[in-house]
Order: sequence, then structure tokens, then C-alpha cells
Amino acid sequence: MPSPPAGHADRTQRADRERAGLIFVGEMYGVQIDQLALVLDVTPRRAAAVVARWRAAGTAESAVLSRGPRWVWLTKAGLATCGLRYSPGTPGLSRLAHLRAATAARLAFAVAPQFAAGGAYWRSERLLQARMGGRIGQREHVPDGEVHWPDETALPWAGECWAIETELTPKTAARTVTIMRELLTRTGDYGCLAADVQVPGHPARHARAVYLCSPAAVPVVRRARAFLGTLGARVEIRMLPAGAALPGASEPDREEHWR
Amino acid sequence: MIGRWFAFLAARAIVRAGARVLTWLTLAAIAVAAAPVSLVCAGAVAVAWWCGWQPRRLLAAVAWCGPMVAVWLAWTASSAGWMAAVSAPYRALADFWRLAGHGDLAGAAAAVAPAAIPVGLSAGALVWAYLTGSLAAGVGGLSPASAVAFDRRQWRHQARSARARIAMPGAVPLTMRGDLVVAGAVIRSVCHRAGILATVGYQRMRSHQVVVGTTGTGKTTLLLRLWAGFMATCLRRHAKGLGAPPLLVVLDCKGGSDARRIAERFGHVLKQAGATSTAAWPDEASLSLWALPPRQLTTTLVDLIEHGTGSAAYYADVMDAFVALAVEAPCGPPSSAKDLLARFEPGWLAAAYAGAGTAADHVLIRSASRHLTDVSLRLRTLFRRLGPGLDGPGTFGDADAWYCMLEGTDQIPVAEAQARALVDLLAHFAASGPSQREILLAVDEFSAVSRRLPIWQLCERARSLGLAVQVSAQSWQGLAATEDERYRIAASAEGGIWLLRTPHPEPLAALAGTRKVIDTTRQLGRFPAWRRRGSSRLVDAPVVDLTLIRSLDVGQAADIYRGGVTYVQVKQLDAGRGAARDDTKACPADLGAGANDAIADERPRQVQWPAALPDAAPVLDAAFGPEPRP
Repeated sequence: MPSPPAGHADRTQRADRERAGLIFVGEMYGVQIDQLALVLDVTPRRAAAVVARWRAAGTAESAVLSRGPRWVWLTKAGLATCGLRYSPGTPGLSRLAHLRAATAARLAFAVAPQFAAGGAYWRSERLLQARMGGRIGQREHVPDGEVHWPDETALPWAGECWAIETELTPKTAARTVTIMRELLTRTGDYGCLAADVQVPGHPARHARAVYLCSPAAVPVVRRARAFLGTLGARVEIRMLPAGAALPGASEPDREEHWR
Repeated sequence: MIGRWFAFLAARAIVRAGARVLTWLTLAAIAVAAAPVSLVCAGAVAVAWWCGWQPRRLLAAVAWCGPMVAVWLAWTASSAGWMAAVSAPYRALADFWRLAGHGDLAGAAAAVAPAAIPVGLSAGALVWAYLTGSLAAGVGGLSPASAVAFDRRQWRHQARSARARIAMPGAVPLTMRGDLVVAGAVIRSVCHRAGILATVGYQRMRSHQVVVGTTGTGKTTLLLRLWAGFMATCLRRHAKGLGAPPLLVVLDCKGGSDARRIAERFGHVLKQAGATSTAAWPDEASLSLWALPPRQLTTTLVDLIEHGTGSAAYYADVMDAFVALAVEAPCGPPSSAKDLLARFEPGWLAAAYAGAGTAADHVLIRSASRHLTDVSLRLRTLFRRLGPGLDGPGTFGDADAWYCMLEGTDQIPVAEAQARALVDLLAHFAASGPSQREILLAVDEFSAVSRRLPIWQLCERARSLGLAVQVSAQSWQGLAATEDERYRIAASAEGGIWLLRTPHPEPLAALAGTRKVIDTTRQLGRFPAWRRRGSSRLVDAPVVDLTLIRSLDVGQAADIYRGGVTYVQVKQLDAGRGAARDDTKACPADLGAGANDAIADERPRQVQWPAALPDAAPVLDAAFGPEPRP
């Protein structure tokens, strides 16, 4: 039997990574090319070439939506290719900063050694929203993502589900407290029956709420956590990772203030 | 000559009658010509009469018409020029009659509405102000008694409007912007700003208040609303970073099954208001007297025991010395009543102070043996009276709201000791608690247990500690034992006095002071005709109407504050039991919506995640770095 030609394994690996990148973009609504480069583990120039190929195939679109690199998002055909039943659309301009921060948070989790060791996976806000469907008048708060830690691993927090919140701008403390309480007392999955959203007696869905904050949002989040009392022990506060801010954001939000 | 005089009188009478008829005819002609305005005016007066409104309420309605008039005039000016805008009201009236003449009544009403409504409302306000003003001054009506009948009728109308307002879902929130606690709907206000909702500023809630009302008048309803409002407002202020978290402590000095029922309602209402946890002492929660610092613990324990006077005071000194030795022993203060009593066992003090203490201590310990049994016996009796409620773990900081039930009705000595101990514990917590709290201490019928801690002393002590005290009683006499103490309490109520129906409101009502009113005398013709001649003068009249206070209905209260009074229809908090258990609501605006009790009762309490979750810092630190420092 003839052996595969040299470089075949690299090409296969690259193709797998590009497929994963396509799904990643679909799950995150839209991604800037510098973040996509991190996902594909290539240089931004190489990532731009990959995007050009996706565009040629009709699976993705790209445009300059904000300062910095171009944004990439999946077309209807791209979503169908990935098997993602989401409504196609250009990322909303008002949500670009939020999308970038959520993507940065997901990427930061992905590089943590425990994440791979624990077999953890990320459920994106788009997936959660899609599970909820187009319920009119739905007022449940949807986190920016969920991190699931499967059972049967050696990690102490195995079996937990974490709600991830990225806080770029400070909300009122009262509103933050309300969201924290809702996240920490929710029992049902997103998209469950309304009666199952909060069922006394059932274990809470989210073991913890992880708040990733900009410097401006940290005091309010910290005060809100203190206000929760014993419930506040399940809230973790960290700074947003480097590169979570949109290029050209206002001075206090610049990434040099962040980690 | 006499004939001419009679002719002159007849002519003058005819001219006067003619002038009067002419005036009325002219007014009638104007009213008919401006029929839409007249209709609106009549309607406004009728509504104001029916609802018991003040004239300014109609003027407010006129102000609300401003945008409509502005748009109408602007539209007229843009389509037909500025001159057309000037004559627009006249043209609207002319159009009204023209369209009405053709049978198009809807079109006629639409054409004249922008002009007729504001003018009619203004005329209505003037007419209503004239009517109410003349009756208040005693010059209106057929007889001087007309003013009294009018006032009673208007009170009924105002009370009915207030009841209708509080019955509207969502019309009376618990709190309002500006840190205002809403007590209910305003029935009538005197020397206070007229409004629709009766509000109490948060700073008033942080001052001393007095509440007096007999049983069954809605005193508990009012108090629960004020407490819930205090809790919700204070929590909101704390969430905004404007103040410390709240602590509400209620001392119910009557006790009994009624207190248990109120305690249950208290817990539900306060949880709905945002309190994280509530506690009913001593049934569900306990406090630890042993949390007091040793020196204060000694003083409190000795004070809790009744001592004789004269030569018997010697034994008080002996007890004080021995209790101090036991409490302030080198091994540390006692942790329970059992621990303290064990220290009076023979030999314990000597062993504890071996190698420690002063020479005087050792001399005292050597001479203590013959007194130790007596001291131990008295302490044993004290702890039996206090019960386990003060021996368990816990501090006031463990809950946001405490409802403490003292059996002041059937076990007065027990309740007196408990009240004294609770006040000492709260004072210690306020002065040196682990975290600063904004404390409201509400005492109901404290006079039942105030023999050893006068309530005025409690108020003054509370003031020095930054606590607000809310004293409630069923009557003026129930406030304190002596008249002097009652006046001291009432005079220190800078947060206001709430009067519900009570048969003896004079002392408290007098604190509202007087106001200037017009007193009019009228000449009596042949009975029952009163002529329109007389004289008026300014006199001082009480701000609070004592007759009204004596006849207040259930749920009605008079809020006496800063020389004015507002009569309030208190909105009851409808706190469903199930909803109250749900502690996920942070600061609801209203407690109007209750939950389905039956369903809620079937639900088990929510299983919480274990308090100590495994430390997830490794993964979070690896991904995002350590938690930011304050």
C-alpha cells in the first residue's frame, strides 16, 4: 500500500483546523481576523487568505465593520455547511465590542491547560439564544457563554457549568445583582419550559458566574457580589484578557489597563 | 314727601332687581353662546366635587392641555398665518355652531375641543376655588352649618377617591424615586404639599417616629409598609453605594399568638422587599448574650437581676464583684450560661486566677465561698427567665430583619429582662458591629416592659448610637408610664407622628400646632335664613381635626410632620407566602402581586450548591490572571 505523500498530514490538520474555525465563527456571530488567526493558529495574513477562500466558496462574508482587522461571519450557506441552524446576518455594529470581548474570553479559556485536560467546552450565546427560539416577550437573561466541565475528570470542579459574563461598561449595581441572582438560581437549560426555569428543590444550573470585567466595571460588579451575601461566593471576578477591547476604544478601556 | 320716599324705594328695588336679572341673563347668554366651555366647566366642577379634588388639580389638568393647544395653534399658524392663530378660539367656536347646525356633532366637538377644554377647565378651577374658598371661610352656603356639611361630604368623596386609587393595581408602589417610601394615597392634606401619593422621605425613616392607634385600626398594616419601604429603600441606596446595608429590629412587647402571626407576615413582607434573610426571635433564631465584651457583659448581667434598695444594695455590689471575676477571668469570657454557672463552682475562680489577677482579686476570691451559691442561684433564675433565645449562637448581623417577641402580657419580668438584654446587644452591635448598618429599631407597646429601661432613655441612647427608633402604642397613655415621659417621647419624634383612630388624640394632635383661618360671623335673619352680612377675622385653628382623628376608618392614618398633617389611606401589602420565600428579587418596586399560596407551599426549598465550592482559581488565574484587588 503506497504511503501518503509528504505534507499530507499537515494539510489534513490544516483542513481540520479551518473547519473548526468556520464553526467557531458561526457560533460567535462574527470574529475579527486577528482573533480568527489565533483560532486557526496561523498568522493574520494567512487567516485573511483563508477568509478569501471561504468568501470564494460562498460560506463566509467579510467587511470592515470597526477599526482594526476585518470582521468575518458566515453566510446562510456557511451556516448550513456547518450544520448550525442560526439566522444568518451581519454582526450588529452596536455589539461588535461585546462580540470581541466574548471571543477573547473564549480564546483565553481555550489556552488554559485545565480546559483541554478537563475536556471542557464552550456554549456560545448564539447557541443559547437559538435554543430559546424567538419567544416574544422573553425576559430571561442569557449569559455571554457557558463553560461546561464534563464529569469523570480529575478536576475538582468537574461536572460544573459556569456562566460567563463579559462586562465592558458598568451597569447599575441593582441590575447587576439581579442578573447575578438570575444566573445563580436558574435551574433549567435555555429553551426549557417556562415552569422549569427556576424550580425550587432542583440544583442550580450554573455552579458559578464568572465575570470578566473592564477596569470601569470591576467596582460595580464587586459591590454587587458583596450585596448577594452567601450567594456571592459563587461569583468569580477577573479582568478581561488582553486584546478583548476593540482597537481604538476609549482611553480607560485600552488594553494596557487590562491584563 | 312720604309718597315720594316710597316711590324712591320702589324705584330702587325695581332697578336693583332689574340689574340682577340683567346680570343673570347676560351670564346665561354667555354660557349658552360658549356652550362647549360651559359644559367642560360644569363637568370639571362636578368631577372635582365627586372626587374631592383641590382646585389646583384642575389647574394641573389645564397645564396638561398645553401641548395640545400649542400644537393646535402652531398648526393653525402654519396653515393660515399668525392672525388666524390669534382668532383661532373664536373661529373654533363659530365652526362649532356651524357644524352643530348641520347636525355634525362629532365634527363640532372636535373643532372646538382644543379651545374649549383648557378654557373650560380653567373656568371650572376658578368656580371650584370660589365655592370651596367661600365655604371654608364660612361665607358660602345657606347657613354657617353648610360649611360643615360640605366638609364632611368632601371628606367622604376624598376618602373614596383614595380607596379607589390604592385599589388600582400598580398605582401605589412601595417606593419612589428620590428615596421616598410610599405609605398610601392622600385623602387630604393640611399645611402639607398636596399630592396624590403620601410619601415619607428616607431621612424621616432614619429619625424617631411615633405611631399611635387602637387595635384594629390598621396600625400593623401601616408599620409593615413603613418597614418594607425602609428595607427596600435602604437596600437600593446600598446597592448604589450611598449607604450601609439595613438592619431592622422589631421588638413586639405584647407577645402571644398574635405576635407569631405578625412575625410570619413580617418575614414574608420583608423578604419581598429585598431582605436576604429575616429572623423571628426566639422561635426561629437566637442571639448570643456572650458576644458582648466582658466588661459590658458584667454590667448587663448585673442590671438584668433586680436588686433591692437601701441596705440591700450591698448585695448588688457583692454580685457585681463576683460576676466581674467570673466573666473577666484570665481564661476569657464565658461562652454560654452553662459556662458562666460552672465558674461559680467551688474552686473554679481560685484555679482560674492562679498565677494571674491582682492581689485584690485573690482576697475577694478567698472571701467568696459563702456568697457563691447565692450568686449562682440568682443567675440560674435569670437564665431561666431569659430562656435559650439569648444563649444560642447568632448576632444581629446574621439577618437583615429581626422580629423579637417578648411575652410582655403574661410574663412581665421575663419580658423586661429580655428587652433589656436585646437593647444592650443591639447597642453593642451598633457601636462596634463588624460592619456598619443603617438600623431602625421599632418597638411596639414598649411601655409594657419599660419599667427597667425607660423608653425615653432608649430613644436618647439610640440617638447617640445613630439608630432610628419607631415607637408604637395603642394609645397616648400606652406610650410611657408618666405624662412627662410621654411628652419627651412625642417631642423627640422628629421623623413625624402617625395617628390612627384613637379616642384621646389631643396631646399628639397639639404637636402639629395651629394655622391661620378665616372665622366669619353671619347675621341671623328670621330662622332658618342667614343673611349675607357679618364680619370676618383671622383666628388660630388646630391643624389636626380632632373629630376626624376620632372617626378615622380602618386603614386611614394622619401623618403629622412639621406643622402639617396629611390624611392617608394606607395601601396594604399583599405579600403572598410563596412569593416571599423567593429571595431572588432584589428590590421590587411594589409588593402588590402576591403568589399562589397553595402552589408555593408545595414547593420544597431550593437546594443550594454547597457553600464551599472547589477552588477554581487555577483555571481562572491561568486564563485571566488573579482576581483584581479593590
